[in-house]
Amino acid sequence: MLFPSFLNLLKETNMTLLECKNLTKSYGNHIALSDVSFQIDAGHIIGLLGPNGSGKTTLIKLIAGLLGATSGSVYVKEEPIGPRSKSIISYLPDHSYLDGNMRVQNIIDFFADFYADFDPLRAYDMMAKLQINPRQKLKTLSKGTQEKVQLILVMSRHADLYILDEPLAGVDPAARDYILDTILSNYDENASILISTHLISDIENILDEVIFIQDGILHTHASVDELRERDNKSIDTIFREVFKC
Amino acid sequence: MLKKLLKYEWRDTRKLLLPINLAIVAFTLIGCILLNTNLFDTELGVVLAFFLTLFYTLTIVVFSSITTIYIYVRFYKNLYTREGYLMHTLPVTSNELFHSKLIVGFFWASLNSVLTISSFMALGAAAGIRASTTYLSDELSSINIPAAITDIFGYPLPCLLLWILLLMIVSSFFSVLMEYMSVLLGQQMKTNKLAVSLVIYLGMYLLTQIVTSIGAMIPSFFITEEALETEAFFSMFSQMMQILFPSATLLYLVFGIIFYLICRKLLKRNVNLD
Repeated sequence: MLFPSFLNLLKETNMTLLECKNLTKSYGNHIALSDVSFQIDAGHIIGLLGPNGSGKTTLIKLIAGLLGATSGSVYVKEEPIGPRSKSIISYLPDHSYLDGNMRVQNIIDFFADFYADFDPLRAYDMMAKLQINPRQKLKTLSKGTQEKVQLILVMSRHADLYILDEPLAGVDPAARDYILDTILSNYDENASILISTHLISDIENILDEVIFIQDGILHTHASVDELRERDNKSIDTIFREVFKC
Repeated sequence: MLKKLLKYEWRDTRKLLLPINLAIVAFTLIGCILLNTNLFDTELGVVLAFFLTLFYTLTIVVFSSITTIYIYVRFYKNLYTREGYLMHTLPVTSNELFHSKLIVGFFWASLNSVLTISSFMALGAAAGIRASTTYLSDELSSINIPAAITDIFGYPLPCLLLWILLLMIVSSFFSVLMEYMSVLLGQQMKTNKLAVSLVIYLGMYLLTQIVTSIGAMIPSFFITEEALETEAFFSMFSQMMQILFPSATLLYLVFGIIFYLICRKLLKRNVNLD
């Protein structure tokens, strides 16, 4: 009986977690994303890197199911985007998306109700460490604390794929450390994280792979170690050279 | 998942809409009590009655407008603004999201309509009873009101009340779907989604008002001085009422179902959150 279980586990581990096939998104004449194809396997941290307006958020929204592709397709664990994929993706948008009138504890209840993989104890524990009173309404918290609440909610899920859109943007260095620490100490080793940012030096050390996007086109998708060895430069330096204005 | 969506939809909407509807009930009870006192028997009392009636009418209109606007805004804000990033990433289908909004929105719109019309009727009845016992001559007071209503409307009083109730409920179904459909149609645009949605809604609202006003005026086309003096007029009027209530209810229902089917069709398209 152990053998089939082991095979299943092996199959699960090697399974392609996310696959984007010839993904194109256009708004009228403007092409935001053009013919993007790549795969992500389980257990990796992938940096989605590119300058502002390169198409990072568009790509993320297509994967999260918030946008419809003009052409091409997205598969999560070999299934198209739908309730099943949404149940295993934990998504953090690049802006506030919760109802400010809700109390923190009500938002935790909401997440616990809808996401089977949500761990309320983990969420309360992280809130307590930040001295956030769960009875407080979200809108009464500072902007920075609201962002941390959102991150805590997203990282309190035992998801297969975490998609974090610019989690480090607009926060001070101390907060950046807290965010990175929260991400790294809460994700499951078999899960993958797709993290979009242009603050590469802050996350370079935690990345396994990078995806460079330029003007809506996939420029590079490679392992961080391979890139460093090939160019003998840091990812930050390579990024600056690739996207030099 | 629909049950969970309904739970949160109910919880969020009741914060505003429950107090509004409770206020209608409270106003009605207070009005009925005041109408059974001699507060309005003096000249000053008549002036007071005028202002209280004005206040009551305006409040009811405002409450009704708030209900309509809130249901529209709630649907739009919760699904197609920043909050949509949460709602559309929940592991639920777009149909479940839509039905949770529809069921709760329909409940509140129906409740508001039914309470509003019931309030008018209760206050009208209270005023009528007070007038018949205080001011009216014995001859007028002796009129059998339920029998008179049957003569005029062609329905026994309980039946008429049931028709009014049914019409209110079906028209609420129609109104809520008209609001949701206009939001969904607006979302099909590349730009100015909200503006387009509002224009569609206002256009359809105006069209509905024109059609229903014409429908309501049809009986008055047959009113002439000579006709008013004949028994035949009341017979004709009651016959028209017997046609108007079922046909208006049926029309609202048919258009409500058409709007529902259009909404379902639009929901099959991909969401495009800006």
